[in-house]
Amino acid sequence: MKDLMLKVRNLKVIFPNQMGVLKAVEGIDFDIPKGKCVAIVGESGCGKSVTSLAVMKLLNSPPAMVRVDELVLDGADLKDYTDQMMQEVRGKQISMIFQDAMTALNPVMTIGKQIDEVFIRHGKMDKGEARIATIKALELVGVPEPKSRANQFPHQLSGGMRQRVLIAMAFACMPKLIIADEPTTALDVTIQAQVLDVLSDMQKKHEVSLLLITHDLSVVANMADTIYVMYSGKIVEKAKVRELFLHPHHPYTIGLLGSIPKLSDEVHKFVQIPDAVPHPMFKPTGCYFHPRCSHSTLKCSQVMPPLKTLLNGREIRCFHPQNVVDFEEVAHE
Amino acid sequence: MSKPIILSMKNVSVHFPVKGALPFSKKRVVSAVSDVSVDIFQGETFGIVGESGCGKSTLANAMIGLVRPTSGEVLFKGNKLYSLSPQEFKEIRRDMQMIFQDPFSSLNPRFNVYQIISEPMKIRGGASVDEMKKRVIELLELVGLSEKDLYRYPSDFSGGQRQRIGIARAIILNPDFLVCDEPVSALDVSVHAQILNLLMELQEKLKMTYVFISHNLAVVKSICDHMVVMYLGNVMESGSTKAIYQHPLHPYTNALLSAVLDVDLDNKKERILLQGDIPSPINPPRGCRFYQRCPYAMKGCVDKKPALIEIEPEHFVACHYINPFAQEEINAGLAKPLNL
Repeated sequence: MKDLMLKVRNLKVIFPNQMGVLKAVEGIDFDIPKGKCVAIVGESGCGKSVTSLAVMKLLNSPPAMVRVDELVLDGADLKDYTDQMMQEVRGKQISMIFQDAMTALNPVMTIGKQIDEVFIRHGKMDKGEARIATIKALELVGVPEPKSRANQFPHQLSGGMRQRVLIAMAFACMPKLIIADEPTTALDVTIQAQVLDVLSDMQKKHEVSLLLITHDLSVVANMADTIYVMYSGKIVEKAKVRELFLHPHHPYTIGLLGSIPKLSDEVHKFVQIPDAVPHPMFKPTGCYFHPRCSHSTLKCSQVMPPLKTLLNGREIRCFHPQNVVDFEEVAHE
Repeated sequence: MSKPIILSMKNVSVHFPVKGALPFSKKRVVSAVSDVSVDIFQGETFGIVGESGCGKSTLANAMIGLVRPTSGEVLFKGNKLYSLSPQEFKEIRRDMQMIFQDPFSSLNPRFNVYQIISEPMKIRGGASVDEMKKRVIELLELVGLSEKDLYRYPSDFSGGQRQRIGIARAIILNPDFLVCDEPVSALDVSVHAQILNLLMELQEKLKMTYVFISHNLAVVKSICDHMVVMYLGNVMESGSTKAIYQHPLHPYTNALLSAVLDVDLDNKKERILLQGDIPSPINPPRGCRFYQRCPYAMKGCVDKKPALIEIEPEHFVACHYINPFAQEEINAGLAKPLNL
């Protein structure tokens, strides 16, 4: 397909260690259309951050072992790119926004200098031009007094401002794809709302593709077009945001949605999923979710359900999908 | 009110001195909590809501005697908490316990589960080893763990299970008063509900009073009876949860509520975006502490501190916009909008 920005097929990441093999990501496929926002949602330990690092080819090997059939960014297959070739891609074509801005920024460099670097390295500018571009970039993300702010160090800025600096840095060279790994988790609610607004404004204005990695379904509801739900290294459900929230099929998605209290709720009891996410070294047999699932049968504990594609384009990995009106499904190739 | 008051705070302020960068620089203070009065009724859940740095944890610490207030009084069951002798304080402190936010740092990694949970009993003394063991097993079952976990170490457990151990440790001495400082925010989303349900079940069984600190407004709404909304060490709005959620009055409460991202796609409400960040609690604004970010700020808000006034039964608000200035003040131009 032509209008895909990123196409990933059969991505596997494992970490071998003395005790065995830790399978972080077990063969996932996903697509990001041009100019759209796609989200990967899951709890800690489900492999969502490892997925994002694998796409950037930032995982060191060893310890990680990455296998992928296809990793195509806008027509170019990055699978066989060397480290040196990737350096041209990172920052210019793909860039990343990290969760914790304090650790992502260099504490002994002014933020202006750090953004300048991107322009000098990838934009082929000299120092003077870079600084002008930096100030413009800071202005775009709503940093007040960008000129004087550029000469400040990260610790002089507040959490929300630091996150804006990271966003400015990620958008500096107008990359094709931006990966945002939990961009607002470290922030307060009112600041979170500000930062998400900036991020979604920038994404729409510049028509870049955004891969949003988060555990927070409420962030996703306001940002993403398509959602992939991950559980224990596998994709368990894929759907358009509206469909997923209105008719979740997978029992895990239903549980996740149910466990988030809503402001409009009147109930005084929370829907709970029993037990906890399995340790990635000791995953259960069959469907990874079956020990926590209220619909599980004997079959679930023995066979891993395949990822099925439904007629409306949704994908689901479950023998007992819920709320499915239309049972017809097409086989997954 | 028919319910008796279990804890009441009267004009409590907590200030922390800050060291200057230079040896003889001026001494400065952070006013973490300033002039807060609350009454907590027996058997209910009392919520404290606010952004980070607003003083909610400091307030809770002052309630159970972990931080000595700079001024003001804390009365627990009628006793002045900070005027008691150390011996009396130790006695009374048994009735108030705390659950911490991060179950990874609040449990001693070198202690096994039995040692962790039985420690409060050991410190109290007067129980034999068999009694303690029996009690610990009873508690493990109460919080959803089992006897076979008795000699395992915290590292063997997931976050949710660790938090259960923390809860068991907090309730071993049958406290009446339990402070839960963000008990779920360090846990996975799918485990949140388990812990919250457990806390509510225990409250029903053991008739405890909870103080629940959270930044999650939806959770507070569903479990708290009364609440305060704090900003920069001041109470902005307080009262019954029902009244506050039905018609939030303070501009800050409104902004907080509208900033909560909802998973309801059809419930698109208008979002009030606050400008800027929380100012530093060193040298906070003299008047209303919220005025720099307030969309309705008036000239008088800069210098005059709004009082907490009862607008309707069980609903207090501290805001000049809601409680208008007196006529002579309006004549003096205090009610003119402030252009920042």
